[in-house]
Amino acid sequence: MELSRPSLLPSCALIFLALLASPWWSVHSAEDVVITKVDRRIDLTSHIVRTSASIRFENKGSSDTTKVLFALSSAQAERLAYLAAIVLEGKGKSKTQSDPLAVSQVSFQSAPRDIVLYSFSLNKPLKRGESAIVEVNYVLTHVLKPFPEEIKQSDVQLVVYLDNAYLLSPYVVKVQTTTFKLPRSRVESFTKLDASRLADSELKYGPYENVAAFSHQPVTVHFENNQPFAVIKELEREIEISHWGNVYVTENYHLMHGGARHKGTFSRLDYQARPSASGVAAFNRLFAKLPPRAHSVYYRDEIGNISTSHLRSDNKRTDLLLEPRYPLFGGWQVTFTLGYGVPISDFLFYSKDGQRFLDFTFGSPISNAVVDKLVVKVVLPEGSKDPVVSVPFPVEITHERKYSYLDTVGRTVVVLRKENVVPEHDVHFQVYYKFNNLALLAEPLMLVFGIFCFFIACIAYMHFDFSISKSSASYQARLQREEVADAIQRLQKVMNVRAAVTDKLDASLRDLARTGDVASCKAARKAAEATLKETAKEVKSIQEALQASSRAASVLLKVDSLIQKEKEKQDKLLQKHSLTVELYERKLSSKDIDNRIAPYQQKLLVLTQEVSDLLHAIDD
Amino acid sequence: MDINILAFLIPAGIIACFSPLSDSSSFAVLYMVTSVYFSGVMVRLMLVLAPAACILAGIALSEAFGTLTYSIKYQQIPTLSNEPVSEEKTTALKSAIDSSFKSVVPKDSNKEKTKVEGDEKVKEPVKEKTSKRIRKKEKEIAEKHVEKQVERKPLVLPLEASAVGIVLLILLGSFYVIHCVWAAAEAYSAPSIVLSSQMSDGSVHVFDDFREAYAWLRHNTDENDKVASWWDYGYQTTAMANRTVIVDNNTWNNTHIATVGMAMSSPEKEAWEIYQSLDVKYVFVIFGGLVGYPSDDINKFLWMVRIGGGVFPHIREPDYLRDNQYRIDSMATPTMLNSLMYRLSYYRFAEATMDGNGYDRVRRTEIGKKHFKLAYFEEVFTTQHWMVRIYKLKPSKNRQRGKNKRKTKAVSKKITQKPIKSLKNPWSS
Repeated sequence: MELSRPSLLPSCALIFLALLASPWWSVHSAEDVVITKVDRRIDLTSHIVRTSASIRFENKGSSDTTKVLFALSSAQAERLAYLAAIVLEGKGKSKTQSDPLAVSQVSFQSAPRDIVLYSFSLNKPLKRGESAIVEVNYVLTHVLKPFPEEIKQSDVQLVVYLDNAYLLSPYVVKVQTTTFKLPRSRVESFTKLDASRLADSELKYGPYENVAAFSHQPVTVHFENNQPFAVIKELEREIEISHWGNVYVTENYHLMHGGARHKGTFSRLDYQARPSASGVAAFNRLFAKLPPRAHSVYYRDEIGNISTSHLRSDNKRTDLLLEPRYPLFGGWQVTFTLGYGVPISDFLFYSKDGQRFLDFTFGSPISNAVVDKLVVKVVLPEGSKDPVVSVPFPVEITHERKYSYLDTVGRTVVVLRKENVVPEHDVHFQVYYKFNNLALLAEPLMLVFGIFCFFIACIAYMHFDFSISKSSASYQARLQREEVADAIQRLQKVMNVRAAVTDKLDASLRDLARTGDVASCKAARKAAEATLKETAKEVKSIQEALQASSRAASVLLKVDSLIQKEKEKQDKLLQKHSLTVELYERKLSSKDIDNRIAPYQQKLLVLTQEVSDLLHAIDD
Repeated sequence: MDINILAFLIPAGIIACFSPLSDSSSFAVLYMVTSVYFSGVMVRLMLVLAPAACILAGIALSEAFGTLTYSIKYQQIPTLSNEPVSEEKTTALKSAIDSSFKSVVPKDSNKEKTKVEGDEKVKEPVKEKTSKRIRKKEKEIAEKHVEKQVERKPLVLPLEASAVGIVLLILLGSFYVIHCVWAAAEAYSAPSIVLSSQMSDGSVHVFDDFREAYAWLRHNTDENDKVASWWDYGYQTTAMANRTVIVDNNTWNNTHIATVGMAMSSPEKEAWEIYQSLDVKYVFVIFGGLVGYPSDDINKFLWMVRIGGGVFPHIREPDYLRDNQYRIDSMATPTMLNSLMYRLSYYRFAEATMDGNGYDRVRRTEIGKKHFKLAYFEEVFTTQHWMVRIYKLKPSKNRQRGKNKRKTKAVSKKITQKPIKSLKNPWSS
């Protein structure tokens, strides 16, 4: 192995220096823990490097211990996204897993530089002479460096991965093996050591025996990796709770291809015609797993809906296949927004103490993507109080206030920030808050009240007198105008009543012609006369009122003549009526009667005509 | 047509405005007439027509509803005296008058006489002639009376007719709402920027190439890069790609457009120089030859030539035409085949077609020049259906190196050797 590029491996060199300088662990060797067996598997098949190491710790010291240490180089610790450990108990088929161990970062003054130590607290103390298998899983991001850094459309993507052939550990390791799982069998180069071999797509180092603490043997693998390097540079998820029945999620993505940068031309022809030989490292689709029963899914960007997506859903899941507008080559970026709603009953629950809590996933629904910067905003409904967040890993929590439609005091927004998020972080988190059901009615009531007030104001405006000067000429004129209009309206009403009397008299005459019942006809006349007398009084009073008013001059003439004519008409009608009845009593022939009343009829017609003319004239 | 039922409600509205004609209604009529004129002149000014059409249709509908509800209302309370007299009544009245008059004339026994009758009826005996005259007069009065009544309350339709009319009008209105939603979705929300075609299985295939290209420009070019294209796509590029353009749909500056037109019609080298002087980084052309999108830049090319030639006389339209025909096949003129527009549109097009002949589906012909390389431009992006092809100007350095190569071979050798060295893999052991 030649260390051809020290600049690329600064940490390795430093670790060597550190090793020479201070055998730190000897200070703490009172615990006397040794690692009897390590089996490390490093998965390099995607751009997220997942390492799983099963470590058998043995306590050879004199006292029990509850803590074991685990080390990472600082270069890796910087890119560490996720670290978890569990204890495997039992053997063979009866293996059981413990709960995740508590992990804490520890530091010792005497520890070598460029090494970060983590301490796992075991669930039960490791007794003298006993051993325990701890399975450590950790995820690193952005550690696969593309080399060459820029590739053409026809090139494949080669990446370099640096690691240690030995487990970096503060303890002595008795036996250890390390396996790198590669995406394809094509490997450009790898560091050749004593016991290193490449079989198919697996690169194996070891077994190595009795490796001292903090031993470091740099290993470089240069291999082909055409997996989509989907890096979400920034993702903002807004989860808005609406107690009317839905939880709305809006996710703003800034996606980038994090692999080797594309250089030179992009030929659509090559990309379409030879998909296996052109743009193999590019990707043009993403897969998102949305919560079950997700609805109203949308996928758009600044310039509108993106028409290339496919949604498949059934009761148990919702799968969304997203295609960006264009295929993403190395270094190309794209932004888009994904939104959906889910029924509130699936994600909002009541806790035992009466609080409500939202139980939602933390990470991005897009599979196998690294999120460099994740902001999760939980918008609680207006009127909710005391939000408490429970996330299984450390996040930065702040509070904001958001104003939406019809908001008065604003909505409480819980903002969670986390960097370097991997799919392992896509676990459920909870936000507890207090909410009074009555607050749900605040907005509709506000609307109702607002509209009510508007109508009240309208009514008030119509009924109140808002003129400034009560003595102004125009105001007086308006008052008088209204008076006159009122009087005329009354007059019309009375005239209508009187007209109805006319109709009745006519009807009675017709009845008379048909039945010859004189008595009822007389009775009708009597009734009519009574009504006419009554109404005549009213007419008189209206007439007087109009005469008193100065504004009524224009209509007064018409009104007067109307009243006169009307009276005349009624008189004539009565005369005709009485004449007809008289004639009937004298038992004259119908023709005779007709002849006799004809002049009245003529006169009546003319008068009726005049009256109705006048009425219309007044109406105008 | 988008205005749908308004088309026949508008004339009704105009008629309604004339009875009676007031200041406001005459304004509405004038507004309508002028907007019809302007929208006739230029179809884009349909927008002006819309409010006027709405107002007049509203007037027409309101008049119709008014009439119908009026007749319903007065049919329900028919006892009032100033009720409109129905047909039956008036005819009955007429006959009554006639019959009474016949009997009146010969007898003349009435004591009370009206003035009209009086003049003629005092003299006895009345002759048939005079009676006829009187009868006529009376008839006239009666008819006049009837006419007046009918005139004043003119539109009393039967109850059933008016109810049916109202129902029909409401139906008409609600169908119009559906139409409006449809028109908004089809005509206004389906912009020409997104094309779609029906597949053989009935599904819709979307050609979203414009936005694909704009989104690419927006996210993958430098913010200060300038983009050149024909002016038709200027505003789109500004808004959707968020990049500075050289010419846009504000066509006031003709020289500017002519410059771009000249660049598009020039050979590659001249075009490169023009674009370099304009500080342009990217040039894109719209090309529909692969999928058959007819309004692409090749079809607009003659206009670029004409506009370019209008300002720069060395661009001459006849150079691009063979026997006064615009063609792109092997009969096309060399000027045409060497123009930047042709080369950018058809770069590697022949390879993309099924049989490799380069059959242009818009022009329905094989292209004239099939295999050529670009010396001054490089393809940086082409959309899925090849409708937008974005090219980048090659940096001037490349060109000069090529020149040097020819002049001094020794120097160039050294230059070319270097990169080979650096290609060595540092991790190969």
